[in-house]
Amino acid sequence: MSVVRCDGIVQIYKAHEVEVVALRDVDLVIDEGETVALLGPSGAGKSTLLWLLAGLLRPSAGRLWLNGADIGRLSQRSLDRLRAAQIGMVLQNPARNLIGYLSAAQNVTFAQRAVKRDRRRAGDLLRRVGLQDAGDRPAGRMSGGEQQRLALAVALANKPRLLLADEPTSQLDERSGAWVVDLIKRAADVDGTTAVVVTHDMSVSEALGRTVTIRDGRVGAEGRRGEDFVVVGREGAVQVPPEYHHLLPPGSMARIEELEDGIALRRAEP
Amino acid sequence: MILRGLWERRTLSLVVLIIAVVPIASAAVGPIYSAAARTTIVREAVRTAPLEGRGWRYTTTSGGIQAKVGAFTRGAGFTNPPIFGMEATSGRADDKRAFSLVWQDGQCEHLTLAEGRCPRASMEVMAGQASGFALGQTIHLSAVRRAEVGDAGRDPAPLKVVGIYRPGSPADPFWFGRTLFAPPGRPEGDKADALFTVPETRLDTYIVAGAVDFTGARQPEAGWTDYGIVFIDTDRIEGTDIDVLAAMQAAAENAGSNEDTIVFSRVADVLRVVSANAGSLGVPTLLVIAQLVGLGWMLLFQTVGDLVRARGAEIALARLRGHGRARVWRFALAEPLLLLAVAVPLGLLLGRAAAGTMIGALLPAGVPVRFPVEAAPAGVAAMLGGVLAAAPAAWRTATRPVTEEWRRTPRRSARGWVLDAVVLSITALGLVELLATGVITDVSGQSSSAMAVPGLVALGVALLAGRALPVLTRRLFGLTRRHGGLGPFLALRQVARGPVTAGSVVVLGAAFGLATFAVSAWSATSGDYEETARFHNGAPTAITVRPVEPRRLIEAVNAADPGGRTAAPVIKVPGPPEMVATDPARLAAVGYWRPELAGGRTLAEAAAALPGPATPRVWLRGDRFRLTADHDPLPKGWSVRLFATLRVPGQLRPVQIPLGALTGRSGTHAWNLPPGCAEAACELRAVRGETTPPPEAEEDLYVRVTVTGLATRANGRWHALDLPSWRVDEDPDARDGTFVVTVPGNQTLRPYTYEPRQAGVAVGALGGKAVPGLDNAYAGPVRTVLASAAGPGLTGVGVLVDLEQADRMAYGVHDKAVFQVWTRSADPAALERALEEQGLSVVSRRTSAGLAASFAGQGPGLALMLLLVSALAAAALALGRTVLALFTAARRRTYELAALEASGARVAALRVALLLEQVITVATGTLAGLVAGLVAARAALGRIPQFAEPPVTPPLPHEVALAPVAAVVGAALLVSLLAAVLVSEALLRGIRVERLRDAPA
Repeated sequence: MSVVRCDGIVQIYKAHEVEVVALRDVDLVIDEGETVALLGPSGAGKSTLLWLLAGLLRPSAGRLWLNGADIGRLSQRSLDRLRAAQIGMVLQNPARNLIGYLSAAQNVTFAQRAVKRDRRRAGDLLRRVGLQDAGDRPAGRMSGGEQQRLALAVALANKPRLLLADEPTSQLDERSGAWVVDLIKRAADVDGTTAVVVTHDMSVSEALGRTVTIRDGRVGAEGRRGEDFVVVGREGAVQVPPEYHHLLPPGSMARIEELEDGIALRRAEP
Repeated sequence: MILRGLWERRTLSLVVLIIAVVPIASAAVGPIYSAAARTTIVREAVRTAPLEGRGWRYTTTSGGIQAKVGAFTRGAGFTNPPIFGMEATSGRADDKRAFSLVWQDGQCEHLTLAEGRCPRASMEVMAGQASGFALGQTIHLSAVRRAEVGDAGRDPAPLKVVGIYRPGSPADPFWFGRTLFAPPGRPEGDKADALFTVPETRLDTYIVAGAVDFTGARQPEAGWTDYGIVFIDTDRIEGTDIDVLAAMQAAAENAGSNEDTIVFSRVADVLRVVSANAGSLGVPTLLVIAQLVGLGWMLLFQTVGDLVRARGAEIALARLRGHGRARVWRFALAEPLLLLAVAVPLGLLLGRAAAGTMIGALLPAGVPVRFPVEAAPAGVAAMLGGVLAAAPAAWRTATRPVTEEWRRTPRRSARGWVLDAVVLSITALGLVELLATGVITDVSGQSSSAMAVPGLVALGVALLAGRALPVLTRRLFGLTRRHGGLGPFLALRQVARGPVTAGSVVVLGAAFGLATFAVSAWSATSGDYEETARFHNGAPTAITVRPVEPRRLIEAVNAADPGGRTAAPVIKVPGPPEMVATDPARLAAVGYWRPELAGGRTLAEAAAALPGPATPRVWLRGDRFRLTADHDPLPKGWSVRLFATLRVPGQLRPVQIPLGALTGRSGTHAWNLPPGCAEAACELRAVRGETTPPPEAEEDLYVRVTVTGLATRANGRWHALDLPSWRVDEDPDARDGTFVVTVPGNQTLRPYTYEPRQAGVAVGALGGKAVPGLDNAYAGPVRTVLASAAGPGLTGVGVLVDLEQADRMAYGVHDKAVFQVWTRSADPAALERALEEQGLSVVSRRTSAGLAASFAGQGPGLALMLLLVSALAAAALALGRTVLALFTAARRRTYELAALEASGARVAALRVALLLEQVITVATGTLAGLVAGLVAARAALGRIPQFAEPPVTPPLPHEVALAPVAAVVGAALLVSLLAAVLVSEALLRGIRVERLRDAPA
């Protein structure tokens, strides 16, 4: 069963009187229990897609289903409930996920306020992220690594069906990063949580079950089981991965050669 | 969590708390100060009232005085314990005098014993020194009989004189409402000083029917008149007692409808003064408070909004975690509401403390600082402004897209025009309304509504300035992009797009507008008070003395100030039109005058035109006066008696002596002169005839009488007097001493010693109005030698005349005339001593500064003082809030500044940017306030209430003193510049390139 289903999502926002197309015709299906790494260059639209998946934005066009609910048709109240009950999110800067003057436990229970408060789970989560001894120390005084782990615990506080994480390892050393990724995978394994992680870190993407690469607001490529694929878009468009730009530079012309199971592109010099 | 959050944002929380506390305190100060001001008004009115206005004398002939007075004073906590007494009045065999037999509780402490002792037993009395009774003498009063009935009825009660006293001072409040002693030097033949006894005398005596009490009513048998004297304690009466005071006065007036009760008092006059002053305090104070609370709301609106926005990240997290809107809204409101809740008691306490300080500094000592019931709701109402600010700010934060909180470059949200347009429209409507009702355009009167003008103008100008500054800086921004360096470029860019700019300019503009107006209004009003006081007082110091004859007053001043440069005798007769009669030459030396109000003429020039001819007067000295006259024969049956009108030394009223009836065609008529004429010369003022018609007159009376000789007798010898030039008022051409006795149109012959149309300096629209003269009887127009818009000593339309001429013209001096000596001496006490050595009795002294201070103590003055103090405090707060807002806004940009530094921008350029940004914002706000304040001052000064009763004269200059205004604005600019320097340095110290490693907040 798909937890996320994007059907021709377009997201446009206005910046200084200019309309910017952040996402265009994004089709994406993520099944329950999958762990997906969202890859792509800065400004490609990864964070925008993540915010859409969190129900923080509504798509300008196209439809988005989360756990079978079309978020475009949900009232704000329903959307809040959906987010409270089924979505956990880790924002890019770990400090942003936390209320700095509250303790670790208070931060976790704050995230549970909109649903049933579960102190046992809060304690369990803190143990899982290694912060059971954090005591009353305010989150603002924790190290970057501790904050990142606590942010993950906060995101998992409501036992979400969909965990969204934006660069959860960006400020961590390799060992801490691995621990965080392990926590995400464990949540998927233990709780059946579907995880979508925006990352630039290859080790993170390799550790997760699937990669989706966003380029220029489109899903350009996907990777499964260590192999990368380009994705053929709605209008038959295919993005040539950057590593092949030296062969087919953007703006160059190519001939299409038909093959039995597809086509081949060859540079042409008209 | 809320408390932790407040601690986390402690600086901002503290600022919000302070800014919330101030309008609450301002709102609370109003009622507290107003209550104290009302107390001041009522105390001042009572204190300056004549003795009769400070209490009641409750008199009854039906007994039960204690219960009656107890009922009368019930609920009045401001009266002293009543002084009870009893009185019976009686005559005495072979004595034409009436005697009052009196007991008054505490009498012995208020009388000076000359001989003997105070009475201790029944039927012992103490008699006045002037009564002629000797110690040990027994007195029998015809109406005071023994209680026991003897064979021949009741015998007169023997009253034994055990003490002789010197009369107490009539001015002693203890003797309130009753004249028990003959005034010193003015013995009255038919009234002796009271006989004082003890209450027990009542038990052993019987007052016979037929005795008449002082009210003229017949007393019942055995009846004494009981009385209770109730005084208002000026140290205890408060503004809240005005209603009780009015109720007591109403009860006193009602009690008078009972035939056995009389309540004597002039408290009604005091109540009228109190009502006028308190009424003039209420509306201006309310408007002042409303404007200050409005300003406080504006500050609160912005600062509470800042606090809510400061929680933006937490609120976004709450929404991210799926909290519902209502919960998020509550979450956002929790901190500001808690702060506002805490601010209420703190604000009320601060308000009380501030009001206490103001009351201590501005109002007379001893005025208590109360906390009236209205103060708490006023404070809570002010706090509601914060709630009104917090609620929409929280709602906006709870509903705006969450993702905006985390964007690297938040989308610019344009400042809406709607709110500004609404506020500007309301402001414009308010001003139009004030224009339409004539409050602004009409300069003739003073309207409380004009107090709303400064707030409206300040708000309007501030809003426009807040809008104009970003537009102007955007224009200049292009210029700095090409020239001027990085500093001005960054500063102008920030000012042009900075969200703090407009809000700060609006708050600063409104606050400084109000402050500038307050300072302008206060300086102008103080000037008006001083100018009015100088004119109304006439000279720097006016010493009021007991009435004496005008000549004695003149001579006493001449002797006390032989140089003629420091003192002037003055007699003021109330109008309308008013009259001030004085010595012109001396007035020129001491009187206050403004030549520009009199067509450039100086007081010396004006005074020089006042004296009239110094024709010799007709002085009569001796024991008998003789007048020889020729006349027409009298018609049949008619009788004509001649009278001479004299001015007698020691008496203010003229004395008329009969000279006998006319018989034949001529005759010599003589009569004894009053005893005073033997020691000092009396003056002949007039001769006239009184007619008695026959039962049935056959012909009209028309008898011409010609005075042919005057003589006085002294030491047994007659001395003929030179005949003066005569004048007949009704026939100006008759100068030969001939006048007509007729009906109607009887004429009066007067020595022609005065100018019939007296020269006078006219103040105001006198026109052809008759001037009352010193005696308020000889009404006639004056010959205006100079017209001035104001004159010394005149509070309304009136004239300034020569005292010598006024005295020659009048028959006497009116009871309401006030006798003063004006002086510019630096040592008025020495002059007072000199005047007393000359036999004058000094009653009081008033300086023009004291009079100005009393104007400032009236309702409008007290309201303006409240505006001044509070507006300055609000301006200081607005300045502080602006500096803080600029600091906070700049601190949010430290990432950007760090990036600029990293990319090679010099610190000096960044310093210039920060400094310029703050200086431009603060200076614009302050200068907008200055403009708004001056515009408001121009529009509203002259219309705002300054006096409880606007003076008719002098014309008020309404001159704004520029120095205080410049000082306020200069101080504001200086402080803001200093703050800008400090803030810039603090921010520059916080700019570190390492910050770039963090994500921008």
